[in-house]
Amino acid sequence: MLGMPLLARISERSTGLLHASLAVLFLLFTTLTQAQPADKALYDQGAKLFKGNCASCHKPDKDMTGPALKGAVGRWEGKGDIHEWVKNSSAYIKSGNSYAKELFDTWKGSVMTAQALTNEEIDAVLYYADNYTPPVTDKPKDGAPVPGAPQETSNWPWLVVIALLLLVVGLSLSGVKKSLTNAVREAEGQEALPDRTFGQNLRAWAWNNKAFASIIGLFIVVFIILKLWDAAFVIGVYGGDEVPHYKPEQPILFNHTLHAGKADKGNLNIDCQYCHSSASKSKHAGIPSTNVCMNCHKAVDAGKVTGTTEIAKIYAAVGWDPAKQEYTGQQEPVRWTKVHNLPDHVYFNHAQHVAVGKLECQECHGPIDEKMDVAEQWAPLTMGWCIDCHAQKEVKMAGNGYYDEVMARLEDTDMGHEALKEYLEDEKISVKELGGWECAKCHY
Amino acid sequence: MSSTKRYWKDLGELHQDPASLEGRGNEFPQDLAIDQVLGDASITGASTGRRDFLKFLGFSLGAASLAACETPVIKSIPYVNKPEDITPGVANWYASTFYDGDDYASILVKTREGRPIHVKGNPRFGINRNPALAKGSINARMNSSVLSLYDSARLTGPVAKGSETPATWADADKAIAAGLAAAAGKRMVLLSNTIISPSTQAAITALKGKYPTLEHVQYDTISYSGVTNANLKSFGKRVFPSYDFTKADVIVSVDADFLSSWGSTSETTWQYASRRNPDMPMNRHFQFEARMSLTGANADVRVPVKVSELAKAVVALHGHISGNPAGADAAMLKATEGAAKALMAAKGRSVVVAGSNNEGVQVLVNSINSMLGNYGSTIDLDAHTHFKQGDDAAVAQLVKDMNAGTVGALLIAGVNPAYSLPNAAEFKSGLAKVGMSVSFSGYADETASLCSWITPDHHYLESWNDFHPKVGQYALGQPAIRPLFDTRQWQESLLTWSGSTTSYHDHIRSVWEANLGSRGLVGSFGDTWNMAVHDGVLTAPVAPSTAPAVFAGDVAAATAAAAKASSGAGSFELSLYTTEAIGSGQHANNPWLQEMPDPLTKITWDNYVCMSPADVKELGLNMYLGEKAPASVVVVKVGDREISLPVVPTPGQKQGTIAIALGYGRGENGEQVGRAACVTNHNGELKPVGRNVYPFTSLVDGLVSYEALNVTVTPSGTTYPVAITQTHLTDMDRHSVVKETSIATYKAGDKSAYNHAHELGVHEDVNGDGVIDARDRKPVAEFDLWQEHPVEGVGHRWGLSIDLNGCIGCGACITACNSENNIPVVGKDEVRRSREMHWLRVDRYFSSDMTKERAKEEGLGKIDMYLQMEVPEESPTVMFMPVMCQHCNHAPCETVCPVAATTHSLEGLNQMAYNRCIGTRYCANNCPYKVRRFNWFNYVTEKFGEVNPAWDDLGRMVLNPDVVVRGRGVIEKCSMCVQQIQAGKLAAKKAGTPVKDGSIETACSAACGTGAIVFGDLNDKKSMVRGLADSDRSYHMLEEIGVKPNVNYLVKVRNTEEAAAHHA
Repeated sequence: MLGMPLLARISERSTGLLHASLAVLFLLFTTLTQAQPADKALYDQGAKLFKGNCASCHKPDKDMTGPALKGAVGRWEGKGDIHEWVKNSSAYIKSGNSYAKELFDTWKGSVMTAQALTNEEIDAVLYYADNYTPPVTDKPKDGAPVPGAPQETSNWPWLVVIALLLLVVGLSLSGVKKSLTNAVREAEGQEALPDRTFGQNLRAWAWNNKAFASIIGLFIVVFIILKLWDAAFVIGVYGGDEVPHYKPEQPILFNHTLHAGKADKGNLNIDCQYCHSSASKSKHAGIPSTNVCMNCHKAVDAGKVTGTTEIAKIYAAVGWDPAKQEYTGQQEPVRWTKVHNLPDHVYFNHAQHVAVGKLECQECHGPIDEKMDVAEQWAPLTMGWCIDCHAQKEVKMAGNGYYDEVMARLEDTDMGHEALKEYLEDEKISVKELGGWECAKCHY
Repeated sequence: MSSTKRYWKDLGELHQDPASLEGRGNEFPQDLAIDQVLGDASITGASTGRRDFLKFLGFSLGAASLAACETPVIKSIPYVNKPEDITPGVANWYASTFYDGDDYASILVKTREGRPIHVKGNPRFGINRNPALAKGSINARMNSSVLSLYDSARLTGPVAKGSETPATWADADKAIAAGLAAAAGKRMVLLSNTIISPSTQAAITALKGKYPTLEHVQYDTISYSGVTNANLKSFGKRVFPSYDFTKADVIVSVDADFLSSWGSTSETTWQYASRRNPDMPMNRHFQFEARMSLTGANADVRVPVKVSELAKAVVALHGHISGNPAGADAAMLKATEGAAKALMAAKGRSVVVAGSNNEGVQVLVNSINSMLGNYGSTIDLDAHTHFKQGDDAAVAQLVKDMNAGTVGALLIAGVNPAYSLPNAAEFKSGLAKVGMSVSFSGYADETASLCSWITPDHHYLESWNDFHPKVGQYALGQPAIRPLFDTRQWQESLLTWSGSTTSYHDHIRSVWEANLGSRGLVGSFGDTWNMAVHDGVLTAPVAPSTAPAVFAGDVAAATAAAAKASSGAGSFELSLYTTEAIGSGQHANNPWLQEMPDPLTKITWDNYVCMSPADVKELGLNMYLGEKAPASVVVVKVGDREISLPVVPTPGQKQGTIAIALGYGRGENGEQVGRAACVTNHNGELKPVGRNVYPFTSLVDGLVSYEALNVTVTPSGTTYPVAITQTHLTDMDRHSVVKETSIATYKAGDKSAYNHAHELGVHEDVNGDGVIDARDRKPVAEFDLWQEHPVEGVGHRWGLSIDLNGCIGCGACITACNSENNIPVVGKDEVRRSREMHWLRVDRYFSSDMTKERAKEEGLGKIDMYLQMEVPEESPTVMFMPVMCQHCNHAPCETVCPVAATTHSLEGLNQMAYNRCIGTRYCANNCPYKVRRFNWFNYVTEKFGEVNPAWDDLGRMVLNPDVVVRGRGVIEKCSMCVQQIQAGKLAAKKAGTPVKDGSIETACSAACGTGAIVFGDLNDKKSMVRGLADSDRSYHMLEEIGVKPNVNYLVKVRNTEEAAAHHA
């Protein structure tokens, strides 16, 4: 090779590259041809119609409430008019078609809803079903971190190593210094210093430099007290900036980001209150009952991240047999671990904050829709945190008859007028000013 | 002009007995009970040195902080399939009906997450609804009934006699069917309380179809056979009539305690109170009685007469009205003269009632009412009730037959004859001879434990039921929770044994569909049914009868029969009564009721002999009762029956008479009748609460008599401690606590005559006469010791207005407050130590009604007048005053709290932050109203398990989840139901409307069917509470100390003719 001209060497390398790229392109092409139907427009029209009209009972490639639509055209071939069947199945059964009757019996009498579709539209749906390929899921390998989970970055081990190194250096230096001093003393004809321990040395030094030692001692004591004081403030606090967030293991790895996250990031953008529906009605936001999960998961039986494992747990809880597409009656409630725990002597009402205060869930629960898979406690939930917010937040009075009355009363009396003037010093009426700092608002 | 009338809380105060007054001013009469707090005598005896103590302290501190670092793992388990109408955290209210044979009311049941936690009267429907106030009237027994649902002593399934463990229903049904079949040919009897349910009647008929010899005998624990028999003789109808006290200008009651126990009290209370408003035509109420009853305490004119004179009083009254007083007792003729005069002046607008179960007396009462033209006006025999159908004669015959061995099977529902019959011993011996006896009781009680089988019924809150309380009135009871145990509705048992497989719910529906026809239908039957379930009631009008009731009784025979009730009078005469809390005894296992103080004696956890103070003095018994002064015990002997009981001197009790409450002494033979019926006493023995005095009842002319005229009372020489809330935690010795006046003074219109404002002299020329002197005065209200809270116009200012005229003293507010605010029950021993925890108490004040004016009117000489004034306990007048935290705007408690645990809110509430409180109790010491309570113990521990409902998992289900359970060492007090205020405000904010007056109720105001307690926003100028607060009768308790409470009281106005105004 050494004697080979440079150009040739390059060309050989590039040939290899060329081959490789060609192979990749080929692969890409074949995959694309597999996924891409011949008539893209018809396929897209069918997909749209399918989602709008059929998806609640059918899947293209799997049986659900109704049969998989893939191959339906073939199955009907020569047995009847699939268009008539789709448009009004019960009428078609009555017309005496035997395959229609057979289908109806196989599917245990579930009546297919009559569809107001034209023959062309039906063809489009069937075309879509026949050409449908399931999307490739990038299932993570076992042990791989779940996306969105924060990575712990810590450098304290390095600090320890450096500290140890420094200590060793310091000790050896002091040994050297001592030997040198002794050598000097010996040279000067003095007696060598007594062999004292480090502690003895330290004490002797402190004795000789009392003022300095007491100042350092004072600093150390104050430092320790301050640290303890700070530590005492986070006892029992499981959220906020200073302590790791409480994120217990849950029976089902429910991914909040996936469900509630923004659509442009590939998430589902479901409104929080679709599942936590009592947040605007009750003191509890409520963990959704399993039947709420089934509104979607009756159809969605595999997830992007965890495949079927987690969704199978919902099925087990609610007693759903995905193979037979029916409820078994065997129910077992999910035992979630409560994440946000307030002490018993605190009364907190979600409805007050969601329906009246019009707060976004994220203001207290953090970026639950952005980077939180399994729920974790974001805010510290301390009283200080609560009342800080009550001191700042402006009461959303506009358009609420209740507050109109409050304002009318304030403007109506001398005492009220005085109070109102005080409230409006910062040009807003905060929660605190209307009593949001009073004990019996939360403690009773 | 106010007089020098004296008010007193008890005899110790009246007679200024130094021993019983000592220490009364102390909020906490005892020092901190360290040994009790530590809970173990051995700890105090141990030689724990100071160093050890410090080590323990250090260790526990360290351990506590370490423990605090561990996150508690709390599980949260949502529904798998959430029922559509349940939102966790939001209460659901269901309309239902309470009926236990004694009382009837339409109720609303509050449930949280499927658990019933509170019961109140139905404000929209039912015969107990006060239409003017839109409130349902109920009593303490009804709103406490929710607690009995969670009683761990309830049977968990059917049990055979002698078996410890429950059997299966299949086995029970098989054994009972065999037993019933074996009884064929013999008498078969279903013994029950009064059945007012058409569907139950249908179920009984169905069982009769299978067992034709089955008979139905009805038995009222407290018999009204005298009344119903008299109506049969007088009008040919054996019924208990409907009374309408709203139409009665004059009410004369001879020993009928119609505000507490007699008749249909859930109606009479609100009807009576609706006519006690002095701004409307007030009724005038005469009461003749031997003991001081709740009704007597409310009377305008109360005449104490002996038990033997009660019948004579009716005869005399009849004499007056009929104009033929011949043969009547001269003294009684004089005593009833005033009442008769008033009655004659109010013909057709009056009502006369008598509590006696003597048929003759009741016929005479019917005759009086008939002569006065009250039938068709205040008394309705057409739209009569279906209550009180019990028949004493049939019950007596049944007991006879049982002993004769001719009864083959006996089914017992809703009654406890082995406990409550006069001849209970005979009943028990007869029961042993019955082949198959089945009880439907939920407990293995006195009767049930003797039966072959107990097939326990559901609690009423777990049941479907229907009722037909009155002609044309129907009601439904719907379950508010699934059955907690393996119990079965007793009517369903009847249906099962008759061979039917329909559920009782379906049975009721079909009976209604068949019976209603087209009456009362709203659309289809399905719609009507749904509406009835929703409302709890259905009105199906019947055509009113046109024929007036014609009295056809035999007055001469009745007079002769009544005379029997007066014969044989001995040294002491006894009347037996039922108390407001315990009633006939079926709810004696309810701790809330046991701890509710009796309205008049203020005693908890016991029954006792009520005796006139003069008799107490004469017998040399203890007069002044308190924690350290126990009551003397006497042996009461009636015939050959003896019972030892403590004696409580009771002002108002007629000399020579005694009274004892029925309903106590449950589970004397160790029967499991439920929590709180039997508790460990001061000697450490497990004993029933009180003694059973049903053995003192007797059969007279075939009717149960609750009177005994020849009674001996012998001091036993021993003493017994009673828990009396009377002497503690009431107010300091001040003026302007209670104020009362007469209607004449009130109508004169000068407020200063009966409700003058307290004034203080000021050093400025107020009256503008140019000089500064003693006449320059300003009302106390204008002085402020501290900077004033912004009140007027700033947000809400919640307040209560309490009408002393409307308050009849029943105490339903106390138990409602218990239920709403998770108030612990502390037991007799703690109550004795002044440690009851009630946030709301009803103070009762006695005063003599003898005044100079009255002496003049009655023509008494000076000596007589002063003699009567000297012994005011003979015939005192009574005032009831509900007292809760007054939520002062200048609260003395707030200024002394070292940790600011009690503070004032912008909305006028005095707030209490329990988690901040460190238990110094300064606030309680500084409270002029004595309304603060200290948690001496953790009451939800096993130590208090006997009495405290919330200590076990089952009892805990009754707790209101919106109110925290307080721990040891903190002060608590009335919060004015701040949880309801917050909930009401939130509802308004969500709806975007101002808070509507009346949309928020405190537990006490919602429970007050008479409308005495009104809650609302004082800053809402159109609100009812503001109107009352601004009215002439309004005053603040202890106004002179200037604490400016947000609770105001309305001066009591008595319907007496003489001018009077009093305060103390």
